[in-house]
Amino acid sequence: MKNDLIERYIYAVTKRLPQKVQKDISDELRTLIDDMLVERCGELVPEEKDIRVVLTELGTPEELYEKYNPDNKKCLIGSPYYSTYKYVLKIVMICTIFGIILANIISGIFDFSKSNSIENIVSSSATFIASLITNLIISVGVAFGFVTALFAFFYHKDIKIDTTSNLDSLPSVPKKNEKISKVDSIISIGISVIFLVVFLTAPQIFCIVMYNEFIPIFNLETIRQTWYIIVMFSVVGIIRDVVRLIEGRYSKKVMIITIIANVSSALLAIWWLADDKIINPNISKSMTSLFDENGQFMSNIFSNFQDFFLTIIIFAFMLDMLVTVFKCLKSKEK
Amino acid sequence: MNHDEIVSGLILELRRGTLILLVLSQLKEPMYGYNLVKKLQDNGIPIEANTLYPLMRRLESQGLLKSEWETSEAKPRKYYKITDDGLIVLERVVNHWNNFSQNVNRLLEDNNEK
Repeated sequence: MKNDLIERYIYAVTKRLPQKVQKDISDELRTLIDDMLVERCGELVPEEKDIRVVLTELGTPEELYEKYNPDNKKCLIGSPYYSTYKYVLKIVMICTIFGIILANIISGIFDFSKSNSIENIVSSSATFIASLITNLIISVGVAFGFVTALFAFFYHKDIKIDTTSNLDSLPSVPKKNEKISKVDSIISIGISVIFLVVFLTAPQIFCIVMYNEFIPIFNLETIRQTWYIIVMFSVVGIIRDVVRLIEGRYSKKVMIITIIANVSSALLAIWWLADDKIINPNISKSMTSLFDENGQFMSNIFSNFQDFFLTIIIFAFMLDMLVTVFKCLKSKEK
Repeated sequence: MNHDEIVSGLILELRRGTLILLVLSQLKEPMYGYNLVKKLQDNGIPIEANTLYPLMRRLESQGLLKSEWETSEAKPRKYYKITDDGLIVLERVVNHWNNFSQNVNRLLEDNNEK
């Protein structure tokens, strides 16, 4: 019984230590405990009570394990990453919660407008609240997990995300027109989140009412099938805006990340929209028929709705990229 | 204000570095862990075995100590001894300690006299 307690104690201390030191530490502890028992009991055979006193003196297995554990990174995310982690987490959380609530409200309004009886309204409300809560829990969990995993990776792999540890590399104080507004970045992250949530949960929001009928702009089935492009699209945007937020100024890093992010977003958009089935085919037909009498121009736009849409997206990305590059270069010249 | 808590925290910080200095200085001759615990305790430096054992292991991994299992006795024991690198480090740290503690003591005494 005596040995059993000692062995259990030693096992509890060493079981999580690296394999190669387990035996050595076990042997060392065994001799130590024996020495302490001899010190306490002399020639007498130690009783269970003595063993308990000695083991208590040594500390709990957890304490001893902590002292033996050679890993100096004992936390998931430590200094100097923790402060940035907290900051980014706060923003991502706010944007996620805000985005989810907004997306649910929009999709809720859409559902309510379809309900035409009291029962329908009651059941729509119940569905609305249930889906809001479920979506909130899932997205907050996913967002939290994503940010935490990202920073834990940075921390444990010693990836530098901050260059302010060296005096020579301290950045100069940005002038007013060199600063990137925090609000802009946050709104931008929020928009990406909303885009993601809306497209994944309720793409039917984008619709046109015609002859008392809701015609979705997008082909819902294709949207559902291409969910991964939507996710990549949003993630690229979020990463770009998080970098902008952390940097807080038009710098080389912001310029590079903006070029990479915007070009890849544009490519993703092309990949996504090159497929003819993204836009609901009915919409082009209806629109074309609607504008037939009024003007050839509008009719042309709607018959090539997808190309029109794609052009606008690419134009927006390129414009944003050029503006950012221009501002970054301008701020570098000074 | 809980003075005890602050004082014990400060003492812990003061002890941390000096213990390493003491451990290195005592291991010019090979010694096993519990033997060193006793020796330090007898000389008014209370140290827990659960602090000393992991500490010696860390110093060994830094190359300042080396160890060997002595199995010829009734109980197998792990003996630690300072390495050549350990001796060089010890000498420099002892010099620093001497200067530092002299200056600290002088300043503290000056303060008391005023």
